[in-house]
Amino acid sequence: MKCTESKELLVAYVEGILEGSEKQAVAEHLKDCPACQAELQELTGLHDRLVTNGKALAQSNLEKDVMNQVIREQNVRLKAATRATDALKIRRTIMKSPITRIAAVAAVIIVAALGINYIMAPSVTWAQVIEPILNARTIVFDLILGTDDTGTVAHEIVVGSRMRRIMSNMPNMTMIIDMDNAKLLGLDTEAKTAIYVDIEGDLGDRTRNYIKFVRQIIGQLQDGQVEELGERVIDGQKAIGFVGRGQNEEVRIWADPETALPIRIEAQIGQEFSFIMKNFEFNAAVDESLVSMDVPDGYTLQKTDIDLGNSTEEDFVESLRIWAEIIGDGTFPEAIGTQNAMKQMPVLVQKVTAMQVSEEKGTQIGMGFAKGMLFHQILESQGAWNYAGAGVKLGDAGKAIFWYQPQGSQTYRVIYGDLSVKDVAAEDLPK
Amino acid sequence: MSENDKFYVERCLDGHPDDFRYLVRRYQGVLLANLAGKLGSRDRAEEAAQEALVRAYFNMGKLRKPDSFFSWLLGIADHVAKEHQRKEQIQRQREIVRSFAEESSGIELSQDYALESAIAELPEAYRKVILLRYYGGHNCNQIAEQLDMPLGTVTKTLSRAYALLRESLQQQKQAEVYEVSQ
Repeated sequence: MKCTESKELLVAYVEGILEGSEKQAVAEHLKDCPACQAELQELTGLHDRLVTNGKALAQSNLEKDVMNQVIREQNVRLKAATRATDALKIRRTIMKSPITRIAAVAAVIIVAALGINYIMAPSVTWAQVIEPILNARTIVFDLILGTDDTGTVAHEIVVGSRMRRIMSNMPNMTMIIDMDNAKLLGLDTEAKTAIYVDIEGDLGDRTRNYIKFVRQIIGQLQDGQVEELGERVIDGQKAIGFVGRGQNEEVRIWADPETALPIRIEAQIGQEFSFIMKNFEFNAAVDESLVSMDVPDGYTLQKTDIDLGNSTEEDFVESLRIWAEIIGDGTFPEAIGTQNAMKQMPVLVQKVTAMQVSEEKGTQIGMGFAKGMLFHQILESQGAWNYAGAGVKLGDAGKAIFWYQPQGSQTYRVIYGDLSVKDVAAEDLPK
Repeated sequence: MSENDKFYVERCLDGHPDDFRYLVRRYQGVLLANLAGKLGSRDRAEEAAQEALVRAYFNMGKLRKPDSFFSWLLGIADHVAKEHQRKEQIQRQREIVRSFAEESSGIELSQDYALESAIAELPEAYRKVILLRYYGGHNCNQIAEQLDMPLGTVTKTLSRAYALLRESLQQQKQAEVYEVSQ
């Protein structure tokens, strides 16, 4: 056998795939040929190197990772496919769904998810205690509308521009709000239903998370408007207090004197609107999925045509009617306003359910109540309104229950117990 | 797991995603070898291999000939590698802008990077044979079947692949010597 022939077969020889006579011939040639021996050594070296490297790489185990990823993505894709099918089933689903709950959620959205759209003259920020309020990326806290600590508590998780809110009087309702995209995801954790609500436009403009609201207020208070309140025990903890007073608002911040972290914030805006924030956790590690805008597993997405556009006086009158007729059994409430509406929500849901009205009607009632309260909330920020309806019977045309001065108007609008509305000059207003 | 690729591909398409694991087992080494040479580190190769496999799974419906799964998978892996290389290039450019004193070191090379990069440079026909033989655990007969060629062609291709690898490794060595002596 010649060298050229031998060399051609050497790889096969190393590989052990040569048959009897060929193998023999190569072996014979190798005995007497140093060049081919050297070649063989080279090839064997490379062969071993390939085998070693092959074994090293074969030890790695991608199986688990790949299979996990496949299963995970498969589920996501299936869900997307199911969602598409769901859209087709919506008609049926809506007929079965406890729609009054959704109406309630919509109402809660309005009365609880809003702050007040507030514009004040800009100025400088004040103390160290407001730093975490202004800058924390995540803030977890409890919010109470009103001035009474025993009131309804909203547990809030704020992450950047997203927030998650659960009300203590309606623990089955969770709301996740995406400020950037003006979207709200309402979840009924009992019925496992979900709704998306577009809060763009007038509603979105007025939607504030309370943190942002407080930031806005304290950011705009002037140095001279801030006073120290000294030390006190607040919520069982030594605290140092500050009060900032603006034209129409007052904010008290109680902070830990060691860390300067706020413990409690009390805010009063206008005559009726106030809230308390406490049990703060700043920059806590928050699971981002808590503020995810995706419908969670196992939830049915409900289609809704919630129109929460610009609300008018008419809407407000309608909400007063609902309040008196349905919630108050014919009598106007002691007081109106956001925190009172909050407290009455479960009553409204209960009564509407008991009325056994159609789904459509139920939605209408919930929406009507919500929309009217939105109108009132806008008035709240302007300060010029009066409620005198406590104990007045629905239909009593002789009693003025509410009056306000529309912006740019010389006269007042007065609403009477029979829900008629008249323009009245300032001097003719009820005393 | 002695069934051929076609069997498992069809199982997956029939709604048994779990059977994909046999294909992962069969080709993970091949993919890693192919990618390590292109991407330079074990971690990157693993990442890309995983991506290629997952992509293959979800695009299996587009595979026209189920018995050419391997070639098809290798094509996906090469594509993923290119994407990763492009991303890395951009990243490296940014790093260079940030601190141009830094050389592109700090990458943990895999065990035998020289060999892997030599394999990565092989023309596809030779690369496939080497990958299947040493990283996919195929013998020459199985390669012949897999790539649908006579056994003689497989051994010839393998011989030629050896020659190309030696050449490439030799060049790398010279380049190193040159760099050191500089």
